[in-house]
Amino acid sequence: MASLSEEVLLVVKKVRQRKQDGTLYLMAERIAWGPEGKDRFTVSHLYSDIRCQKISPDGKAKVQLQLVLHTGESTTFHFANESTALKDREAAKELLQQLLPKFKKKANKELEEKNRMLQEDPVLFQLYKDLVVSQVISAEEFWANRLGGLNNAEPAPYTNKQEVGISGAFLADIRPQTDGCNGLRYNLTTDIIESIFRTYPAVKQKYSENVPHNLTEKEFWTRFFQSHYFHRDRINTGTQDIFSECAKQDEKGLKSLVNKGVKNPLVDLLSLEDKTLDEGYGIKQALPSTSNSNKTVKESSNAAIIKRFNHHSAMVLAAGARKNEVPADQASETSSTDGNSRDSDFFQPPVKKVKLQEAIEYEDLQRENRQKTVALNLKKSDRYAHGPVPLQSQKYTTSQDIINAVNCIRHEMANYKPNLTQVMSSTAASSAVAALSPGGVLMQGGAQQAINQMVPSDIQGELKHLYVAAGELLRHFWSCFPVNTSFLEEKVIKMKSNLERFQMTKLSPFKEKLQRQYLGTNLTGHLEEMLQTAYSKFHIWQTRRMMRKT
Amino acid sequence: MLELKRTLDAKGHGVLEMPSGTGKTISLLSLIVAYQRAFPLDVTKLIYCSRTVPEIEKVVEELRKLMEFYAKETGEVNNFLALALSSRKNLCIHPEVSALRFGKEVDGKCHSLTASYIRAQRHSNPDQPVCRFYEEFDSVGRQVPLPAGIYNLDDLKDFGRRKGWCPYYLARYSILHANIVVYSYHYLLDPKIADLVSKELAKKSVVVFDEAHNIDNVCIDSMSVNITRRTLDRCQNNVDTLQHTIQRIKDTDAAKLREEYRRLVEGLKEANVARETDVYLANPVLPDEILQEAVPGSIRTAEHFLGFLRRFLEYLKSRLRVQHVVQESAPQFLKDIFEKVCIDRKPLRFCAERLQSLLRTLEIADIADFSAVTLISNFATLVSTYSLGFTIIIEPFDDRTPTIANPVLHFSCMDPSIAIKPVFQRFQSVVITSGTLSPLDIYPKILDFRPVTMASFTMTLARTCLCPLIVGRGNDQVALSSKFETREDFAVIRNYGNLLLEMSAIVPDGIVAFFTSYVYMENIVASWYEQGILENIQRNKLIFIETPDAAETSMALEKYQEACENGRGAILLSVARGKVSEGIDFVHHFGRAVIMFGVPYVYTQSRILKARLEYLRDQFQIRENDFLTFDAMRHAAQCVGRAIRGKTDYGLMIFADKRYARADKRGKLPRWIQEHINDGSLNLTVDETVQLSKHFLRQMAQPFRQEDQLGLSLLTLEQLQSEEMLKRITQIAHQA
Repeated sequence: MASLSEEVLLVVKKVRQRKQDGTLYLMAERIAWGPEGKDRFTVSHLYSDIRCQKISPDGKAKVQLQLVLHTGESTTFHFANESTALKDREAAKELLQQLLPKFKKKANKELEEKNRMLQEDPVLFQLYKDLVVSQVISAEEFWANRLGGLNNAEPAPYTNKQEVGISGAFLADIRPQTDGCNGLRYNLTTDIIESIFRTYPAVKQKYSENVPHNLTEKEFWTRFFQSHYFHRDRINTGTQDIFSECAKQDEKGLKSLVNKGVKNPLVDLLSLEDKTLDEGYGIKQALPSTSNSNKTVKESSNAAIIKRFNHHSAMVLAAGARKNEVPADQASETSSTDGNSRDSDFFQPPVKKVKLQEAIEYEDLQRENRQKTVALNLKKSDRYAHGPVPLQSQKYTTSQDIINAVNCIRHEMANYKPNLTQVMSSTAASSAVAALSPGGVLMQGGAQQAINQMVPSDIQGELKHLYVAAGELLRHFWSCFPVNTSFLEEKVIKMKSNLERFQMTKLSPFKEKLQRQYLGTNLTGHLEEMLQTAYSKFHIWQTRRMMRKT
Repeated sequence: MLELKRTLDAKGHGVLEMPSGTGKTISLLSLIVAYQRAFPLDVTKLIYCSRTVPEIEKVVEELRKLMEFYAKETGEVNNFLALALSSRKNLCIHPEVSALRFGKEVDGKCHSLTASYIRAQRHSNPDQPVCRFYEEFDSVGRQVPLPAGIYNLDDLKDFGRRKGWCPYYLARYSILHANIVVYSYHYLLDPKIADLVSKELAKKSVVVFDEAHNIDNVCIDSMSVNITRRTLDRCQNNVDTLQHTIQRIKDTDAAKLREEYRRLVEGLKEANVARETDVYLANPVLPDEILQEAVPGSIRTAEHFLGFLRRFLEYLKSRLRVQHVVQESAPQFLKDIFEKVCIDRKPLRFCAERLQSLLRTLEIADIADFSAVTLISNFATLVSTYSLGFTIIIEPFDDRTPTIANPVLHFSCMDPSIAIKPVFQRFQSVVITSGTLSPLDIYPKILDFRPVTMASFTMTLARTCLCPLIVGRGNDQVALSSKFETREDFAVIRNYGNLLLEMSAIVPDGIVAFFTSYVYMENIVASWYEQGILENIQRNKLIFIETPDAAETSMALEKYQEACENGRGAILLSVARGKVSEGIDFVHHFGRAVIMFGVPYVYTQSRILKARLEYLRDQFQIRENDFLTFDAMRHAAQCVGRAIRGKTDYGLMIFADKRYARADKRGKLPRWIQEHINDGSLNLTVDETVQLSKHFLRQMAQPFRQEDQLGLSLLTLEQLQSEEMLKRITQIAHQA
């Protein structure tokens, strides 16, 4: 039984599936069910295949759990143990809840990646169709060395996808629902939790500190929603609130943001006024600072709300931008190392100049609408400037040379006099002309080039696909050499059979088709040659192996 | 241009209203510069006053462009010298001083390094720290004038660094011979600063006040004084310090005091001569009469003067001990002070001048420390000089907190013309301009001058890129208004919330919303939060809110722009009359819609305002209501005008108050907004607003190319020179 080698996380007995009693097993990588009395699984799903789980509502007579797969199929389990059905179901659900997201991400990512590659690369897609859909090789084999290569070699240009930001209203999405007995229910999804963590790193820190050592996850979130941190308009009362520290940290963060000041001088209200009135002058008397103490509770809570909104928006914005910060820093670094004048700390950043220019310029008054060009973004400018130079110095023809040559030819032509005594006979001349015209003896080479006119385009396309497919298979085949592991050994044998199958199912029908259409030229000759070479290599290898074995 | 030329020709003053983004600055600059070139003897200097530092810098950049164009077209570089002047904080290059964050600190520190006696002390004591930039400037900087060119603040700093000269003093020295000076209008209007900086500017100058819609408030602010108990305490300390210093100097250097006494006997003749010969800009704090007289004997010696100050101080303290609100005029105050402590009017008038002299004599290092006593002495001079236009209000407590004693003496100026009068008198042409000056006739009234020209211009548009809508009702037909009676009404607040919510769903990028006051905004935000409206808005856009703290608001603003920039979209909740509404532009996608919740009336219960309204009614025959509406509407226009900064820009202007629909309110909006309000957009519901906005935004989102504008709002050179167009232009000019 396969499950023996796997770690079984949970076993639930008395689970019905299709009116059959049985046992549900939750294992490390899959969920399986076997009917009672038999030692094999009739249902087995990898976690990564499962899209989601659904449960029957609490009040219902049947306690059920449904698994929906990515393919759209679903499997329903009915927990039939009367006394513990609900508990069993909850246990299974909880476990699945923890397990599924882990696999989901992985599976999704891979699937997405594969899907994207196929979409972006038509050649690859064709290859996939030729080899996998027609079952020459399995999908896993097809992806095996593609994805690997991709993941290691050049993930940068592809994985640099746009980061999805956070909805500004994610807290609003957690609508509390009354559960009828003076309580509130909050529905949290992993997305919301993720958003909370990304927006409020302080909460994340608290979470990792306290869960699961001190609190269960549920308790943690309960406290979170009870805390004044969530309800900022409430005034802080309890001191044992674990989130009071978060609030303080937020305050600090906000202050540091404020202290950092703003880069754009046009919005810096502090430096807007040129000359402030001296203290004591002016009509409007600034409120004395002591008035903070006698503010009413309502006023200060209002101020807290306003602060909170500013902070919240800033954090949401920052969470969206956080990923982009790093490359921005790098860019600025590289630009400064490129020799662009690094601004000494005396100077106002050039941002100011740019903003000023922007403010006084009107687009419609520009005389010519220049095409917007993309600025060359050089990581290392010196490499660009002193890029790889060809070693041999090329011989250039100077313009003087050309002029000389032209003059020379002109001179020749001017002085040309046909020497009529030593010309060819007319028959020889006409045969030479015939030989040089298309179809003539000397123009054989030219006929080869016309193959794209001779062969209809659909055949051409098919041929191309065959070449690509054969190339792919051959690549697999040749990559097995030198065969030094048993895995490679297996693979090479498999590849050989793959090649043979390819020749049988693809190449031969194509060849017959060609013959049927009376296309005389041997188009598949080269393909066959290549396959033949592979076969002979395989034979050599096999005979050698036999020799070694005997 | 035509109007401006008329103004210059007549050597008179003008009021011009032009929408923002139509090239107000550049047309003013180019005409005046051309005028200066054509009649170098008639107009020697252009003084361009703007409001904020970025605006000053923008003006200089535009000027630079203009000069580059001149150089390109004429092929010769003209020898204009133009420069920007700002406070030390923006110009200082001293490594330690410039690191300080607040303007006052910078000023104080600079003063402690550059004051004349500090430098004199250095001769005997080389360890005394001085500013090497100033020293360098003082020794060589004055001999060679600044080479011709355009100097922005950063250019001045660069130049200063290269030469090792102090840019601030260099600029202050250079404005005397510069052709064009750009600075903040405090430098002309605030007598304390004007006396230092702008006193010697040539008479044949043209002065332009840009963004001048608030100029009356600036004037009033610069002439008003508030005295609290804290001020008096600090003043007491100052006087004590002075006492000690005098004692010490008497022991060591009695000759110095005698010398001062002699000078005071001679009087302020110097200043008088200068003013008569028209070299100086008059200082309103220093009235003409006292220049002809010597400082009265009773305060001539230092000790006597200190005694005098003490008496005055004690009197003020006793006045602050009142239990009820007192309001009186300046003559009443003078009568009372004479009866109580026998202080005459005459010595009071010399108070400020006498104190200056004493501080100079005593070689006080940090002037900032003595701000309290300076304030008191200025107050004394002002109260004894002007019998009209000022009022004294003593409030024993703040109205909002009647239990806490916090007595304040407001000495408030009610007549903005006092501060600006010397400017109108001295300079040959003063042009007041802004995007929102309507109704035009009120400015000459309250500033008390007679303009040669008054004009309000509108924009020629290839497409109607602004869409003013007046929302008067909610979807449930509840009248929307920020009226005091309905202010707390939940239905109104909810409908306001719905309006914002609906707009947030349809307007791309940025929305700016203005409330009438900070308290009102706090309340509305709180109840929106309770009703869950804000959460729903957050689904569409991020929310940023202005706070009383400028640094925090700056951060919110920057984040707001970032959110607009990266496509997420944001809403900024802000306050009319706040810093954001005054100084920040929301160009293009930073502000696709402005929503004005309510009519931004000033807080009418304040006694100072009441006094001012009374004064306006008595002196200028302006009815209270007219002035209040005028004030509210100019702020509303200022707020909504933030979003349109040019004719390629577009934006919605939503006035969410049914009172805007009335003719008396609507009529006070600038012409360029008014002409786009039609009867169909007067009393809309929220739904109708959404429909109209959707339509408008969809239209505006179409590509707008240069060709679309050509011939309408944009002319090529050939078109401009064509006969037909010239005719049309003259026609338009006549209409205006």
